[in-house]
Amino acid sequence: MDTLRALGDGFAIALSTVHLLWALAGVTLGTAVGVLPGIGPALTVALLLPFTLALEPTSALIMFAGIYYGGMYGGSTTAILLNTPGESASIVTALEGHLMAKQGRAAPALATAAIGSFVAGTLATLGLTFFAPLLVSVALAFGPTEYFALVMLAFMAASALLGRSVLRGLASLFFGLALGLVGIDPLTGEARLALGIPQLLDGVDVVLFVIGLFAVGETFYAAWRHAPGEETIAAVSRGRWMTRDDWRRSWKPWLRGAVIGFPLGALPMGGAEIPTFLSYLTERRLSRRPEEFGHGAIEGVAGPEAANNAAAAGVLVPLLALGLPTSATAAVMLAGFQQYGLRPGPLLFETQPELLWSLIASLYVGNAMLLVLNLPLLGIWVRVLRTPKPLLYGGILVLATLGTYSLTGSLVDLAVLYVVGAIGCVMRVYDFPLAPAVLGLLLGPLAEQQFRRAVAISQGDLSVFVTRPISAALLAAATALLIGPAVWRKLAGQGTRPRYQRLS
Amino acid sequence: MAGVWPAGAGERQAPDPLPLGHLRIVAPAAPGGGWDQTARAIQQVLLAEGLARIVQVENIAGAGGTIGLARFIRSVRRDEPALLVTGLVMASAIVANEAPVSLSQVTPIARLTGDYEVIVVPAGSPFRRMWDLVEALRAEPGAVSWAGGSAGGTDQILVALLAREVGVPPGRANYIAFSGGGAALAALLGGQVSAGVGGWSEFAPQLAAGSLRALAVSAPERVPGLDVPTLREEGYDLTLANWRGLVGPAGATAELRGQLGAVVARARASARWRELLARYGWIDLYLPSEEFGRFLQQERLSIEAVILSLRSGSDVGPLARTGARVFPVLIGAGLAVIGVALFLDGRRRHRSAAPRSETLDALRSGNWPAVAYLSLGAALDLVLLGPAGFVVASTVLFWCAARAFGSPRWLRDLAVGFALSLAAYVTFTRGLALSLPAGILAGLL
Repeated sequence: MDTLRALGDGFAIALSTVHLLWALAGVTLGTAVGVLPGIGPALTVALLLPFTLALEPTSALIMFAGIYYGGMYGGSTTAILLNTPGESASIVTALEGHLMAKQGRAAPALATAAIGSFVAGTLATLGLTFFAPLLVSVALAFGPTEYFALVMLAFMAASALLGRSVLRGLASLFFGLALGLVGIDPLTGEARLALGIPQLLDGVDVVLFVIGLFAVGETFYAAWRHAPGEETIAAVSRGRWMTRDDWRRSWKPWLRGAVIGFPLGALPMGGAEIPTFLSYLTERRLSRRPEEFGHGAIEGVAGPEAANNAAAAGVLVPLLALGLPTSATAAVMLAGFQQYGLRPGPLLFETQPELLWSLIASLYVGNAMLLVLNLPLLGIWVRVLRTPKPLLYGGILVLATLGTYSLTGSLVDLAVLYVVGAIGCVMRVYDFPLAPAVLGLLLGPLAEQQFRRAVAISQGDLSVFVTRPISAALLAAATALLIGPAVWRKLAGQGTRPRYQRLS
Repeated sequence: MAGVWPAGAGERQAPDPLPLGHLRIVAPAAPGGGWDQTARAIQQVLLAEGLARIVQVENIAGAGGTIGLARFIRSVRRDEPALLVTGLVMASAIVANEAPVSLSQVTPIARLTGDYEVIVVPAGSPFRRMWDLVEALRAEPGAVSWAGGSAGGTDQILVALLAREVGVPPGRANYIAFSGGGAALAALLGGQVSAGVGGWSEFAPQLAAGSLRALAVSAPERVPGLDVPTLREEGYDLTLANWRGLVGPAGATAELRGQLGAVVARARASARWRELLARYGWIDLYLPSEEFGRFLQQERLSIEAVILSLRSGSDVGPLARTGARVFPVLIGAGLAVIGVALFLDGRRRHRSAAPRSETLDALRSGNWPAVAYLSLGAALDLVLLGPAGFVVASTVLFWCAARAFGSPRWLRDLAVGFALSLAAYVTFTRGLALSLPAGILAGLL
């Protein structure tokens, strides 16, 4: 098979000692920068790009692949340890992951994230190697109509995130939706709810919101609850490694995460957030022990983290096959390719096959490297939790403000960060779940824009949502998820409501 | 916008400039975008050619670059060697956002590069020539959907200019704004829209592969290597370039203006710069200071006219059905309902004399002093960051946070906070080339 031979040639290049070292350097740098709150994968790649410039193209691309995967992975570490997701795709990881860490199960949480990332990343890279052309044709069938339907399906994840009180969960969701309206309406260029502050014209940045709500909010809440004598944030570590039970509960979520993440990541309007929410929803619905969700269920870390990394590989499908950057990270990658005089796109496989296949081979290598690098580091990461509270929270605040301020150099953004942090603290005190607010901020604008685009293209004809097959199927699935559980209970003759738990 | 000079016109022999000691370049966008690339490309060439000793790139992102412009105007002295990257997108954002600042406040230094716009259709489209597309647009404006970049940007400006040229009110053209690089392209490749508008370099790979067909390019003359007629050739008297350029401090001294102009002219004439142009697919659209100034004035007038024509027509446009106000009303209604429900729920609980809620207890038992210390730290951080610098402000923030959690060892906390802040500062400014304020430690760092 041509693909196999080409891939073999790629591996021959990627596995040379020099290139392995560059891959290791890329993974290390990517992880180190990606760990910082506020510095997501897109920025990690943008910031580290200059480091690869001095190298010849093959080494540079190999290092680049390492940086990409390292940056994608880095965000989950702080999410689990400190409830401080580095980017929006790690929010779901923080939900169950941090609860596990608080119970002294940080090591298994980090391990299932690392191994899940490796398994899903490798599966998705296999998908990229063999199914890219097929996937591309499916992905292009997704227009605004279909994408709106997909966002509606993702909104159903809110039902799994609402927490103990549906009313409070909805309040949090609508808070996020309202914040999503702030700024310039992308379809008309009209400013909305910006209060005349120019810095608000670009809207509320999701990453800034996440850092504020989680990292700063958590710090304020911890101060609020602080009683003298509590030196560290987590219980004493129970066990350093995943138990047999952890393995048993993790492997299916890893695979499901890969299956959800890869194709959704490959969609033209991709991104890794929707797959993580859908994976969480799936795991919660399928779990034999749904009552553990909200108390540190390992499935809730394994699935979303796998979906996150599979989506990262999925994003490369339209990028390499069509030259389509479908996420901020992909746009930066595209700029990176240009620096080496490469134009990703339909002709890349013909014009530069050797370079391309060594890049794909180095994706496998980078993934494996990530696992090799991170498993030994688990012990060190877990020790972060033993840092005395004063130093730990001081450090979190400094890093959170650093990430926010250095990007835009805007004091308004810094002020917004603290205000959101205060809101996050109040929400915690009054028992409002945080995740629905993020979901609303993330998905609200998407839903609105795609809906309006679809209606504009159809010139006001709303029937497109049900006459186009993919859209109709997705909307049907969303409806089934919404009313399905109620109908099911009725049919089963049980009046018991599921017990919702507070999630964050 | 007929004022696109042929590349190289008006060029004159620049005298050998003195190398600049220290130059600030402000990129009014986040790292990774076009303006940032331009800033870092110029930085690279200036350093490599020995035209400046230290060149620092600073990113001030937001609102189409107008936030960077406002900050540049406010913070740069008139004799300070500093450059701001600008472009058509900023010029139109100033008009569209009704920004309180304008490009006439700063000193034009040079127009540098640009990209022409192409009008493309999917490979299977029935539109063979520009004429076919225009006829469809004239017959029923709403039925021709145009995919392009953000509202009010270069792509929409071209569609509006074309509509006006062929007698269709610009606001009635069914322009679908997509955000992000690939979204409009994906809609085109998937055949979701009738036509697309975008920079030539954005579509180049698809045009080469034949999955898109270009009907016309907005250049004044045929672009070498691109077998596509210009809009003028097709009978529509339009040209448009998505240009980028450099401006200097507001009210710059004549000496500084001459020096910056000469340095940029030398950089632009270098082989390194030509190599970068080829690598990024940029077209050389160099104009020296004075011509660039006149060009900016013309540009502003034509942009104002276009944006005005888009605004005045938007009520009858196809977006009117679900305009910008529908979703805010829906979400507002939702919030109101939830607010009422929360209120009723609270009252019901209060009446039913349920055991006092945990949250009320929490409110009383909360550690107020700790929260006060944290708030103090946050406030000091905001106040000190600018004048005292990142390291000092962060050390203070760290110390307050440590104090909030009851640390008795204030000297240790100060030391750890200082070490962490310093390490972060050095890593970010030296390692990652991001800028943080040095403040009172400027001489030491």
